[in-house]
Amino acid sequence: MAPVDSPKQRRFHWRGLKTFLAVLVLYGVLALLSPEKTMEAAKVSLGVLEEILPILGVVVFFTAALHYWLDPRKLAKHLGEEGGLKGWGIALTAGILSHGPMYAWYPMIEDLRKHGLRDGYIAAFFYARAVKIPLLPIMIHYFGWAFTVFLSLYIVLGAWVQGILVERIEGRS
Amino acid sequence: MDAGGPLFVNERRSYRKELKKAAIGILSLMPMMLAIVGLVGIFQAFVNKEMLASLFSGDAVRDTLVGTVAGGIAVGQALISYILGGELLQEGISLYAVAAFILAWVTLGVVQLPLEAEVLGVRFTVLRNVLAFLFTILVAVATVWSIQWLR
Repeated sequence: MAPVDSPKQRRFHWRGLKTFLAVLVLYGVLALLSPEKTMEAAKVSLGVLEEILPILGVVVFFTAALHYWLDPRKLAKHLGEEGGLKGWGIALTAGILSHGPMYAWYPMIEDLRKHGLRDGYIAAFFYARAVKIPLLPIMIHYFGWAFTVFLSLYIVLGAWVQGILVERIEGRS
Repeated sequence: MDAGGPLFVNERRSYRKELKKAAIGILSLMPMMLAIVGLVGIFQAFVNKEMLASLFSGDAVRDTLVGTVAGGIAVGQALISYILGGELLQEGISLYAVAAFILAWVTLGVVQLPLEAEVLGVRFTVLRNVLAFLFTILVAVATVWSIQWLR
């Protein structure tokens, strides 16, 4: 487990600067080829940004609250190596209840991982996010009860099996 | 301290300090986050539902694979995938393909791969996404088989 506050980690640096510049160049090229569509893309991006900023705000407060109250040794017990069945339950429930795009949760997951959160739980959390409780009535409307119930059950089961497989594969190598 | 006690124990830490640390952590990721948001915009502006629908041929096996790949590349709210999936079903595309499409839409993310790899590492990202790809097909097939068995 990496130390949480090593001097190297405390030093601030922008992450993904090259990718950001590459996307800016891509926008520049697309603006030359199709200015209207590119303007539309920029507007969509601004809309997405407006949508995720409040979620990132929640993530900041949540991460700070976890650090404030959380005992790293206890985290290792509940969501680390000794997590067991309870840990799987927490990871799957958190995945089902989490909102917003997956990438908004990456910073918090990274933080918890430094405290010992198991990779299997992370994989299970991400896959369980496919169950969207607020959208279940819409899914039922389009695809029916049976489809919605079976799909949701198999997603949760699949998330759990994937988590186990991630740990088996990582453990083997 | 007893390791079997409660998970949350405040040991007189400063909440303001923790808040600052968490904000700096998110801030450092902003270039990558903005890059992903920019790619989402490009995808939604340049790829329309007709383009996505044209990928499907009517062959259930091929369409299930196509649905998984298309859903993995597509970005946007899950609700959009349900609406698109409903329209694809009406156009005669198999339920296997539609189930794989709406599931891949939420569980896979080609656009967000650079951010996931930056934060969680390349090895974990590849492993997670390969497993998610395979399980999306398995879950889609199991769901349709279960519905057929029920009938």
